[in-house]
Amino acid sequence: MPDESILSDEFIRELINVGEVDILVGVPTHNDARTVGQVVQCVRAGLLKYFPRARSVIINADGSSRDGTRDLVCAASINDTVGSNLSALRTLHSISTEYDGAPASGTALHTILAAADLLQAKACAVVSPESTSLEPEWIERLLRPVIREGVDLVLPVYRRHKFDGLLIRNLVYPVTRAVYGCTVREPYPSDYAFSSNLGSNFLNQDLWKQEQGRHGTELWLTLTAIIGRYKIQQSFLGVRGRLESPPSDLVMAMRETAGLLFCSMDCYPAAWKEPREPLPAPCGGCQPAISLEPMRVNRKRLHQMFTFGISQLEPVFSSILSAPTHEELKRLATLPENEFALPEPLWARTVYEFAAAYHRAVIGRDHVVQALVPLFRGRALTFLTENRDAEETEIESNIEKICQAFEAEKPYLLHVWDGGK
Amino acid sequence: MPVQQDALWYKDAVIYQVHVRSFLDSSGDGNGDFRGLAQKLDYLQDLGINTLWLMPFFPSPLRDDGYDISDYRTVNPLYGTLDDFKNFLEVAHKRGIRVIIEMVLNHTSDQHPWFQESRSSRSNPRRDWYVWSDTDTKYKGTRIIFLDTELSNWAWDPVSKQYYWHRFFSHQPDLNWDNPAVREEMWDVMKFWLNMGVDAFRLDAVPYLVEREGTNCENLPETHSVIKDLRAQLDREYPGRMLLAEANQWPSDLRAYFSTGDEFHMAFHFPLMPRMFMGVKLEDRKPITEILKQTPEIPENCQWCLFLRNHDELTLEMVTDLERDYMYDEYAKEKAMRLNLGIRRRLAPLLDNDRRRIELMNGMLMSMPGTPIIYYGDEIGMGDNINLGDRNGVRTPMQWDGGWNGGFSTADPEALYSPLMLNPVYGFQAVNVQSQKRFDHSLLAWMKRLIKIRKSTAVFGRGSIQFLYPANHRVLAYVRKLGNETILVVNNLSSSAQAVELDLKAYKGNILVEMFGRNVFPRIGELPYLLTMGPYQFYWFKIRRV
Repeated sequence: MPDESILSDEFIRELINVGEVDILVGVPTHNDARTVGQVVQCVRAGLLKYFPRARSVIINADGSSRDGTRDLVCAASINDTVGSNLSALRTLHSISTEYDGAPASGTALHTILAAADLLQAKACAVVSPESTSLEPEWIERLLRPVIREGVDLVLPVYRRHKFDGLLIRNLVYPVTRAVYGCTVREPYPSDYAFSSNLGSNFLNQDLWKQEQGRHGTELWLTLTAIIGRYKIQQSFLGVRGRLESPPSDLVMAMRETAGLLFCSMDCYPAAWKEPREPLPAPCGGCQPAISLEPMRVNRKRLHQMFTFGISQLEPVFSSILSAPTHEELKRLATLPENEFALPEPLWARTVYEFAAAYHRAVIGRDHVVQALVPLFRGRALTFLTENRDAEETEIESNIEKICQAFEAEKPYLLHVWDGGK
Repeated sequence: MPVQQDALWYKDAVIYQVHVRSFLDSSGDGNGDFRGLAQKLDYLQDLGINTLWLMPFFPSPLRDDGYDISDYRTVNPLYGTLDDFKNFLEVAHKRGIRVIIEMVLNHTSDQHPWFQESRSSRSNPRRDWYVWSDTDTKYKGTRIIFLDTELSNWAWDPVSKQYYWHRFFSHQPDLNWDNPAVREEMWDVMKFWLNMGVDAFRLDAVPYLVEREGTNCENLPETHSVIKDLRAQLDREYPGRMLLAEANQWPSDLRAYFSTGDEFHMAFHFPLMPRMFMGVKLEDRKPITEILKQTPEIPENCQWCLFLRNHDELTLEMVTDLERDYMYDEYAKEKAMRLNLGIRRRLAPLLDNDRRRIELMNGMLMSMPGTPIIYYGDEIGMGDNINLGDRNGVRTPMQWDGGWNGGFSTADPEALYSPLMLNPVYGFQAVNVQSQKRFDHSLLAWMKRLIKIRKSTAVFGRGSIQFLYPANHRVLAYVRKLGNETILVVNNLSSSAQAVELDLKAYKGNILVEMFGRNVFPRIGELPYLLTMGPYQFYWFKIRRV
């Protein structure tokens, strides 16, 4: 049985009024008043346009917003107390609940999953409140495969700037593809959809009191679907627009991505150590996914942080990395910025050695993950340099080279995982 | 005041719609008749209805089930004689049953002597009784109603070599209401029946009486003027008689037919009916409350006429495209079930013969603001025959018992005006009055009880309505109020059990008394009143201060 105690009595009362639904769209928020109104109105338009007959609900799981976010979500309701809406066949509830504890996307997802389970939603989509480029068509592209084609997880493919999502392109995507044999471009999605089957399974997992139940939970959901060999599909959504936001905390991001990947590899070795057929994840309507607008990046600072990390974390790296890898990285740290490059095979071996160190817990696991940050900066610098003047196809080819390196080095992963160094 | 002396009697009416031809054949010729209908007045009285609405019984070629009249002043010999009608009317009145008859003002049959004269030559004195034209391009903005059969509103007359105007079938030429002689003659026809004692007219197809270039030829001021004149004459010469409008229009357009209370007394609420079906299928009250919100207030002396099914298709003209597609997909999966812009099916088959849904729909019909109409046979759950053409599938003989011809006629089955229903679910051996009279829990017995309770209070017919809008959208709740009497109606539109919290603070301290079982429910307090309801269940509560 799912833990319904996370749902407040008031929220359960509201869910009783909603009743069984076909579609649930979840919107996790925390002080998103600037954008969430536009997002829920688009969700509503998408539901009315593409699923007019479906029993639908929009559910906002909010982390203590104080800027009116929740009111904006509730304003998207269509019911007979707020005037006529002849374009809608049905009532559409748009309700909001505030979950306990500090704001965390995992807790929000937990709330959404529990609500979906209670309402027996056949399909559930989650959209980011910051997705300012969200269009009604996104709702159709995310939910249609679940409703009409029996797909369990629909992941987005966005048209991103060539330098956006460096962690995804250089680590999360290649590792997921090489280790688990599933080619999904956005394993850590902010706009996605899943079936009741996958949702219930995920809800019943024992993760909600652990870190992956609070942060990086969306990636864990993807990994759960891949490991469980659920039916996965990708949908091209278009440009991913977001508000200008302060630089993200890379340590935190590394925990949510590399940390979770290593954790899943540790928890489910049978899912990747034995040879398995690749898990297909076809992409519906995929188009070129890279945009090329000029962008200023501070390569010098990345270089400094890499070299500084190599020198400062020498003892840590000694316990994590093999001697040849460590030596090679140290050598790279001596190169001037304009000659610096962390090649794909070395990067793949480095990441795999970190995964093995995490597995063997040679030092505190969180320290292992944190120590990867400066090395990733070196890899990011390499990617930026390589693709500075590259066209779309060349960038795609370079991303493919990273993935192939990780795939080629998978035997090395198996080797180091079991103690070889 | 006794009902029979009350000028607003139609507000308390429970109307039963019947076709003389379909009810009981006393002569054994295969057609129902007035003598047969008179024999069954005991049944109708026992059912509890107090008003009969008869479909057209005038001489007619019967190419539109009698709506193509060829003589307005007598009875079709198939149904008996004028004396038979007079006798029926007298016996009905003795039982306290009023009689509404049809008056087709808009058009006649092309076999009517007026039209025969009119078409005979362009100089005939009756030429101007119909609408003639040298071209078929006049009134271009006018829609075609019978889309499945008609290509134009004009038909070529090879005799007088002009086009004549028809809004319905081409064998139903429209009368020219701009001609004072036509107005005079039609009022004379109405007087003929009023003098005999009929209580009311259902005026057929009223929006289309007058045509004007550059308009859609519907709801024109000139048409309203015609109605006002008729009403004024009726009130002056026959007070207490009633006019009922058949105008398949949006509520805002319909409102004009009440005017200031000096046009129609009653009008059918066409847009509500499909939305009741939609609400139950969607399990959502939104379509119902939405259309009632758009329904304007009407004068004190006027009333809406509500129905679930009638002799026509379930019309989907007054719904959006989205709603129409939904209704077709949910209620008319087979093409043969569709006709024009509607669905030609009876109540029970539309609701999958689900007793709970049939009860819920009738419960709503009887408790919403307006006068309810029951279509003959729906009180026992009769089925339809979609294999018969046009709308004949919902006009099959009444099923009285499981014997010869279902008790309808002693004629050979082949001689019946329509085949009987024979299938094992809806056939006369499975569904008939006699068998349902034997059980206290039959649909017929339940309908009798429902009508009795409806008639036990004037609130339903005359009271105000206030919707409660509980947060559970599957529940439709409203309060009906008249004077000191207050009734709470709660309908669960869902196929599953529901909990609903009602804001009844305004009635704090009162108790609820359920009207069917007369059981007392807990006192209303400060908190929202919690009710749990079974699938498709409905409650009628009297709110009483103790």
